[in-house]
Amino acid sequence: MYDAIYIEGKGKPTATFVFEHFANDAMSAASSKGMPVIRIVPEAIVSESTVVKDINTAVKAVFNDVVGVLTKPLTANEKSPKSREPENPPRIIFKGTLAEVNRFFYQRGWTDGLPIIPPTEAAVKEMMTGTDFPADHLVEKLEPRLGKATIEKIAVNAIMAGCLPTCMPLLIAGVHMLASNPVCGMMAASTGSFAPFWLINGPIAKDINIRSTYGATSPGDIANASFGRAMGLITKNIRGIRKQVEDMGVLGNPGKYTWVAAENEENSPWEPLHVERGFKKEDSTVSLMFPQSFQQMMPFGTDDKGILATIVGSVVPARQGFFAVLLTPNNAKSIADGGWSKKAVKEYIIKNAIVPDDYYSRLGMKTDKPFDRGDVTGPGIGPKLFRPSKRDPDPVQVFVFGGFGSWMGLLQGGPSPMTKKVELPKNWAQLVKKYKNIVPNYARY
Amino acid sequence: MPAQKSTDTYEVLSPWAEADPVLLKGLAPRLDNLDGKKIGLLCNNKRAAPLILDAAEKLLKKKFPTAKFSRFFARSFSVSSLEKDREAEFNTWLKEVDAVIASVGD
Repeated sequence: MYDAIYIEGKGKPTATFVFEHFANDAMSAASSKGMPVIRIVPEAIVSESTVVKDINTAVKAVFNDVVGVLTKPLTANEKSPKSREPENPPRIIFKGTLAEVNRFFYQRGWTDGLPIIPPTEAAVKEMMTGTDFPADHLVEKLEPRLGKATIEKIAVNAIMAGCLPTCMPLLIAGVHMLASNPVCGMMAASTGSFAPFWLINGPIAKDINIRSTYGATSPGDIANASFGRAMGLITKNIRGIRKQVEDMGVLGNPGKYTWVAAENEENSPWEPLHVERGFKKEDSTVSLMFPQSFQQMMPFGTDDKGILATIVGSVVPARQGFFAVLLTPNNAKSIADGGWSKKAVKEYIIKNAIVPDDYYSRLGMKTDKPFDRGDVTGPGIGPKLFRPSKRDPDPVQVFVFGGFGSWMGLLQGGPSPMTKKVELPKNWAQLVKKYKNIVPNYARY
Repeated sequence: MPAQKSTDTYEVLSPWAEADPVLLKGLAPRLDNLDGKKIGLLCNNKRAAPLILDAAEKLLKKKFPTAKFSRFFARSFSVSSLEKDREAEFNTWLKEVDAVIASVGD
């Protein structure tokens, strides 16, 4: 819709075909850009369809609407829309029991479906000890709604998610990252159900107990669980990207609850991600990517040849976008012991990840019309699955985390990773001391 | 921390962010009709987009045989948001058309 609004702003009438299930999404986008009266042409073409017969039928059915959108005289409101105040609820929104607060928030569409911790005044005050910024400090305005991500609003959502105050520096960095690239909003709203995966590097990981070892991305650790969850609530309550309103993810993605790990730096044979991306080892950073899928494989063999062959053999031809190999420390060590640098591993994958020449034709697909969206592979593109480009010169990433074991993984989809330094408050050492010992103590049975 | 009873109440803050009112803009003037007009067909990089425009162009040509057509192919989901390096090229194209039919493939 952003293009239609831009074009209307240039004085040209515009008709945009929109799948009828996406009309809400289109109108939210239009409202956020100041054009709530935009005319669209809802149609019955399922997103990404390639069935020409269905498309022809659906376009024919709305053809008169297309003509009408471009020629029907404007109403007074379409010429000069009446201003509308955004919904700005009072700061104190509700008083009730734990169950009542949870029901109220859930029914307003402010949760992820799981119970929340009530964001009381006292809890917000404690959460904000995690930053030097005042409550009303505006960190960013987040598209599409342009909601104001103030320190207090971030803290409220952080409490709901169960964060400790030591999570605040990560959350502030995370909010900056969401605002830094318009693609982040598109990923959160996309039919592709891209889920934010947050990879943490540097000393903050140990300071706040972000898990980097066994089960790094599984439930059970407060920092991994609550940071990603808080960023999901921020996406909903500050950005204004809500399921099946603005977030039109078709299959959905469990990673949207939370998907956080720290790199297992001390057990990796290679430089950590943030150093590879130009930061100092002692810097704390957060990296953000939006993979759609997570695949785990048992390597053909646990030496370098077996692991690398497994990676190359497991890349699917219909993949697109970001790609990362997830190696456990011992898998990474096996490869490094074979003389491989991280860069060499990437080059090997790019060189060898190919589809056979007759792959598509054997399946009855025509190869005369390329299907290529960025780094997408498919009929007509050629045998290579990865093609370094201006858009993505480094299309293969290698991350080391997890416990000692042979399983390995792949992440796929979305834009290239973004990395940002995490700024710590002056009282960081005291904060760490206060909260670091909050860890699970599992009883033996 | 003292134990909470289920009847204890909590006064809670709203998580919903404030937003400033957005300056609202009206639509561009409409055309009287499409006869003899140059229609821009804007296609983003989703694969349904060109197929939708193929179908629309075919019907438009039949109903408005004097209309002319010009296509602009975005390399991304949104040329105005994500392809700032093509702004001049896009604006030049816009100047040459009387109206735009856009297909975003969704």
